[in-house]
Amino acid sequence: MQVFLQTVIGGVSLGAVYALVALGFSLVYRTMGLVNFAHGNVVTVGAYLASTFYLSTKLPFALAMVVAIGLTAAIGLVIERVLRPLENRDFDLMLIGTIGFGIVLDALIIMVWGATGRAVPSPVPSAPIELFGLRIRTYDLVVLAIAAAATVLLVLFLSRTKRGAAMQAVAMDHEAATAVGIHVGRSNAIAFMIGAGLAALAGGLVGPLLYVSPALGGALGIKGFAAAILGGFGSIPGAIVGGLAIGILDSFTAGHFQGYSELVTFLVFTVIIMVRPTGVFGERTVNRA
Amino acid sequence: MVRLRAAAAISTVAVLATVLATGCSAPGSDEEESGSDSGPIKIAVVDAQSGQLSSLGAWELKGARLAVDEWNAQGGVNGRQIQLDVFDDQGDPTIGTNLARKIDSEGYLAMIGTAESAVTIAMAPLLKQAQIPNITSGQSPGLVGAGSEFLFLNGPTSTTYDETLAKHILDGEGVKSIAMITNNGGYGKGEHDAFLKALKSRSVTPVVDQVVTTEQKDFSAVLTSIRQKNPKVIFLGAEEVESGLIVKQARDLGITATFAGAAPQGTPVFVDTAGAKNAEGTIVSSPYLSNEINEASKKFAAAYKAKFNEEAELHGAKAYDGTQILLTALKTSNVATGKDLAEAIRGTKYQGLLGNFAYDQTGVGIFETSIGIIRDGKLVAAGS
Repeated sequence: MQVFLQTVIGGVSLGAVYALVALGFSLVYRTMGLVNFAHGNVVTVGAYLASTFYLSTKLPFALAMVVAIGLTAAIGLVIERVLRPLENRDFDLMLIGTIGFGIVLDALIIMVWGATGRAVPSPVPSAPIELFGLRIRTYDLVVLAIAAAATVLLVLFLSRTKRGAAMQAVAMDHEAATAVGIHVGRSNAIAFMIGAGLAALAGGLVGPLLYVSPALGGALGIKGFAAAILGGFGSIPGAIVGGLAIGILDSFTAGHFQGYSELVTFLVFTVIIMVRPTGVFGERTVNRA
Repeated sequence: MVRLRAAAAISTVAVLATVLATGCSAPGSDEEESGSDSGPIKIAVVDAQSGQLSSLGAWELKGARLAVDEWNAQGGVNGRQIQLDVFDDQGDPTIGTNLARKIDSEGYLAMIGTAESAVTIAMAPLLKQAQIPNITSGQSPGLVGAGSEFLFLNGPTSTTYDETLAKHILDGEGVKSIAMITNNGGYGKGEHDAFLKALKSRSVTPVVDQVVTTEQKDFSAVLTSIRQKNPKVIFLGAEEVESGLIVKQARDLGITATFAGAAPQGTPVFVDTAGAKNAEGTIVSSPYLSNEINEASKKFAAAYKAKFNEEAELHGAKAYDGTQILLTALKTSNVATGKDLAEAIRGTKYQGLLGNFAYDQTGVGIFETSIGIIRDGKLVAAGS
């Protein structure tokens, strides 16, 4: 039982990070019908920016995160602006465009920060909490709390603000939204901006858990993408459920299948997707794509 | 529509992947053959310059660069300058084999690298066919198994590392309760087999023998089952970053056992990732414990620091030794190529940073390591 619960705890904190990555994928997808293949690299950029402000500029961790999120969101805007002319021509070109951006970001990261990477010390240095023989890292709780808060804010933005409602409208029917005077380009830009901001949040949070290197986003990007598909691509609650599910699944397969854990994780993923191709929360709003 | 787009996306990615993979191999190049008697002597460094293993590649390149620059400053070999070119294998055997063809077609005399045994093993048959001598930083016993007379190691194999380690822990400290965590990559597999063999020869069975993947980030399940067995020592057979993450998470789970390992566990990257406090007391088997061991290592470390503005460490030292051996062999053989150069390397007796090199038929030149302990974030000789 102890192993079981400790395994769940281990999976949940990385799962929360996967969920944040999945949210970014889903938000752009539901608004534009586009899979942003550069998303994983944007996570890496966010992680490097956050760790740079935290370690080199000596800003407090929270402030470093805010600055990193702001800068990374601006990068999201740039990506959208460059790709915008392609949107009404050929959609596949836009997909290739995001792959291209991913490669460019990867090269830029190595040019700016080098290839070796860096370790980020935990901003919450206190000892793990001991509970019924289980040990919970305090930083894991911080990660969970911030991820939960970010999700609530995003949902509130989408459902309660005019701009958010406009984005929902574009997601549901692109042409009808244009007809009633919603600026689709602006809506897309905001989706990209928030998506990149979420990526920076995920990258910044995961820094102290893992090791910040140019390869960081690749691994997180694939798991986050799988999480988004598992939850139902484009669905906000789906991204959360999918992220946590992938995190916990990963943690269990690691315990039982050892060297073959990655294989088993993705086999289970494939079976679920075959049984339920729209994912757990398959939404109607993604039909636009 | 959704389906169509998805299919298009997948095929796009597949096409792109193919293009990227094949695009690396250059078509027949008509650059001059450097086997000729004039112009610079071309040596290739093949190592991961990007991806998870890029720190190894970066250190190795620095070590090789330092050695070459020292020779070039003194007039090169037989009056010819040495040209060192870098190729990025991304730690990927497929890219490695493409690069083997590339350095053959572009007329490189010899190759330094790679730092990843799996890549080197994949490249070995092609380099053997092309008769290009290769001095690798890999340490997997599989390198010896590749059976190429053109392949040389710039350090001991895992067998030597782990035998020394087992001798220290079991025979020296008398510890019998040992757990193992190794990864399923080329390096981890080699460490797993070599350390298990060393334990078996002392009739000891590990209390837990866990295998993780090279990409794994969360080790809760593995570590919790290890915690229940309460071993005295945990052997790590994984690269720097992964080992560091394992140690960090183990300490968070309340595991107080001592960690032990070979070369990666003595590096600053391992200590930084784990956190100096968590890594305290880690037992390391390494042929190059610190920059302070003797006059040669002090001189090397000072030159390294002056050139790259960072502290020298094992991998840089290994690549420096390997490159020195290659350049010495080039000099003594009057810039021979192919089989003659390989024989010249085999015949080179070299007093290096790691010890005295004398190559045998299997391409291994050095057969001992020392035991070090991590104290206050630095690797120091055991007993000091």
